Amino acid sequence: MRVALIRLAILGALVLAWELLARAANPLLYVPPSVVVPALGRLLVLDSYPELPQSLLLTLREIVIAYALAIAAGLGCGFVLGLNRLVGRAYGPILAALYAVPAVVWYPSLMLFFGLDAASKIAFGFLLGFFPITLAVLAGVRQVNPHMVLVARAFGARPAVVFAKVMVPAMLFTLVGGLRTGLALSVIGVIVGEILGSKGGMGALINHAYGLFRTADYVALVLVTLALVVASDVVASLVERRAQRWSD
Amino acid sequence: MTSAERARVLVLQVVSVLALLGIWEGAARAGWVDPLFVPAPSAVVGAFGRIGPSALAGLADTLAKTAVAYVLSVVLGVSLGVAVGSVRVLREVSGPFVVAAYGMPKILVLPWIVLILGFGTAPAILYGTIHGLFPILVLVMGGVRDVDRTLVTVARAFGASSWQLYWKVLLPAIVPTVLAGMRLGIVFCLLGVLIVEMFAGVRGMGFVMGSLANGFQAPELFAATALVSASSIAIVLALDSLNNRLSRWR
Repeated sequence: MRVALIRLAILGALVLAWELLARAANPLLYVPPSVVVPALGRLLVLDSYPELPQSLLLTLREIVIAYALAIAAGLGCGFVLGLNRLVGRAYGPILAALYAVPAVVWYPSLMLFFGLDAASKIAFGFLLGFFPITLAVLAGVRQVNPHMVLVARAFGARPAVVFAKVMVPAMLFTLVGGLRTGLALSVIGVIVGEILGSKGGMGALINHAYGLFRTADYVALVLVTLALVVASDVVASLVERRAQRWSD
Repeated sequence: MTSAERARVLVLQVVSVLALLGIWEGAARAGWVDPLFVPAPSAVVGAFGRIGPSALAGLADTLAKTAVAYVLSVVLGVSLGVAVGSVRVLREVSGPFVVAAYGMPKILVLPWIVLILGFGTAPAILYGTIHGLFPILVLVMGGVRDVDRTLVTVARAFGASSWQLYWKVLLPAIVPTVLAGMRLGIVFCLLGVLIVEMFAGVRGMGFVMGSLANGFQAPELFAATALVSASSIAIVLALDSLNNRLSRWR
């Protein structure tokens, strides 16, 4: 309780300091909160950017498609690599090496290939989400106790049953963690893609506001985008808690 | 892994990479893919020669910025992490702020950084530092919190001063965490620097790659991408082997 109060006080002090410093230095550049609030209001009543709902929806759609593709490909590759010893030994290290490359190096090629529209953002969000999911499945498969699989087989369980009843519950914790990281990275991938160059979506609005030096609108747009990011993380944490309760 | 198995794995790796390159080359030559977008590997190799000098200059520029950002984020991340992690009040109060800043997509503040600092080297270093700082900070904070309490209690009971407590107990105990953070941080720093160069660069590899993409120079772009990827992998592998040697020495 006391800690929460201190946190609140610090937050208040930060906002106040920001306000005072921004006013003293350069209100246009440092955007004091008192300017942000009305700008956020204008944005939310669709005054400054009437295309806000479509942009938000476009970004959301890109995220959903990118994440769905990342889950499908990540689970597929992860299980193929995890269940087959030789294939896993051969391609696992290659995958890990590629993961050590800062993903943004692929973005110019994706932009060249898929153009400036939604497809290049989806591809980049997919790429970012794919790696943590695949690696989590790989790690999860290695966690499964081989004795349990052996016993289930000995009692005549078919491979599909072994998979669903023994392997998935045993690795659920790691798997769900990977899926959550994957979502966070897919979201970041789509937003990075939009800001590096796009014709629609929140990134395009942010770039527009920034390019015209409409700094208050820019901060308001960033806050709306942040709300989208936080909402996706809240949904993911609810699902994660649900899955944990189920596995207990 | 037996040596026979290791050989099989190696053969499989080499064969599949060669097969991939072969299929790719064949598809490009047969015209199944548009060479404007997906150039044949042979064309990419040829492009290395054309972009060589400018790409190497860009790579040197990017790596220099990354090095500065990396040193800053390791120094700041470790010192802040030790300070915040070891003082309970600081940890409890600032924990949520650090986690929020860690999870936030930093790209959202990039336009603002560029507005304030302009184009060029300064925003790249700042943004690279922000990118590398938080993973290191979060790891080190956790590492300090998880240091065995008994060690601290015993040291205190034997009359260690707080200086000794930090130097002789806490810091040695978190060395593995710091090394893990350093390995993670380098990729994040490079990522941050490249993003700034693509967004608002005038030099550096990110800028080079962005211009090549805008100019539809696919072979040159693929060559530049391969160059950056290879150097990033080389840096991470070097850090890994350093890490291994250090942990063996410990």
